[in-house]
Amino acid sequence: MAEPILKVRNLNVDLGKEKVIEDLDFDLNEKEVLIILGPNGAGKSVLLRTLLGLHQFQGQIQWKKNTHIGYVPESFDVSPDLPLSVKEFFQFKKASLQEMLQALRWIGVENFSKFLEKRVGALSTGQLRRAIIAWALVDKPDVLLLDEPMLGVDIHGRETIYDTLVKLWQEQNQAIILVSHEIGEVVKKADKILAINRRKLFLGPPEKVITSQNLAKIYGGAISL
Amino acid sequence: MEEQFLFSLITGISIGGVAGYLGSLMITKRMALVGDALGHVALPGVALALIYGFSVSLGAFPILLLGIILIWLFEMRTKLPMEALTGVVFTASVAIAFLLLPESQVSTALIGDISQVGFWDTLVSLIFCIVTWLILWKIFSKIILANLSENLAKVEHVKVERYNFVYLICIAIVVALGIKVTGSLLMGAMVVTPAAAARNFARNLSQYSYGALIIGGLSCALGILAFKFFALPAGPLIILVATLLFLISLIFKKLT
Repeated sequence: MAEPILKVRNLNVDLGKEKVIEDLDFDLNEKEVLIILGPNGAGKSVLLRTLLGLHQFQGQIQWKKNTHIGYVPESFDVSPDLPLSVKEFFQFKKASLQEMLQALRWIGVENFSKFLEKRVGALSTGQLRRAIIAWALVDKPDVLLLDEPMLGVDIHGRETIYDTLVKLWQEQNQAIILVSHEIGEVVKKADKILAINRRKLFLGPPEKVITSQNLAKIYGGAISL
Repeated sequence: MEEQFLFSLITGISIGGVAGYLGSLMITKRMALVGDALGHVALPGVALALIYGFSVSLGAFPILLLGIILIWLFEMRTKLPMEALTGVVFTASVAIAFLLLPESQVSTALIGDISQVGFWDTLVSLIFCIVTWLILWKIFSKIILANLSENLAKVEHVKVERYNFVYLICIAIVVALGIKVTGSLLMGAMVVTPAAAARNFARNLSQYSYGALIIGGLSCALGILAFKFFALPAGPLIILVATLLFLISLIFKKLT
């Protein structure tokens, strides 16, 4: 089997005096979709940021050499009156017009020219989230890390983001790590599920690990999918 | 056109332009009043320059750096909000300056005077403006990105702390230059007002930043022309022109 794109061994993260992540081990293979589940406050976002090198840690995080990472953060606040157009936002990454259009096609934007001229701050929550996904994709990362991409988005927006994600992993050009505090349809499409609550709860392909017994470990009640 | 007037114009327009451009970043980073505060911090240096007869900007710059370092050290030590510490430092600076400043020089220190700038002074100001603008132009998008999401910027390999430091140095340079034109008291308006005006009509970032640059330069040009005709001090005239342009920009606010 090929070398994994990411190897995590014995990972421990402290924030202040609090232990947020304890003894975590997992691998991510190329073009694999990994979903990290866990209740609120389980350390999922911290884990993602640690993988990105934004937090101190003990243990081992080993990315394959020259891995290019795209990141979709949980919160991204744009003041509604900031005069920053979507096009300029993409130009921060020195993206060509062609690359922008390709990325926008991914997220299901039809009226390109109008969308590119829009202010980033004038986009709806769902549009903004999709625009940031496109932004992360525009320079073709090897791996995409998404932190709660559905959070704060209404039902309709969720559907389009969901479609975008499914389209993404059907195409499978990159590995994906997605963090979510809720289980939904998306979970079934993953290659691997990692559930954590500070420590690893379970890890494996969804058809094996998504059992009501396991879900009770995360959410403490009887839930089935 | 007489030489002296031309020097005043060149000095004013170049400093006004770069101050406006910088202001577009400062408003975005919610640091609009920093220019104002730093203008005051610089006063003791301005006082020394006026007493010993060297360039006001040259006197202001080291004091500004000292002030910024002090605020930063106090913040590390006390964890008090930055604006509280800035308040402490800038009022102390004003107090020190007024002990030093001869009465005849008070108005130059407070509202500036570029009616007497010479050739070398103009040339040095122009070079500083161009270099500072180039640096700001280079770091502009990174600063905006880091302001939107610091984590995202870091993932994109933007060295956020380093860029913020360069940005602060640029603020110190622009404030030191601006004090020459509009004095300590009015310096804040040179960074805020043109950028605020540009924000009212800008639909995107380049309209915003270049709009601020143009309005800043234009305010200085018109202000210095008015000074020529009315023989009133140039500093306040420049700021009033900028304010007028801001009022005009309000017309566009609803349209965008």
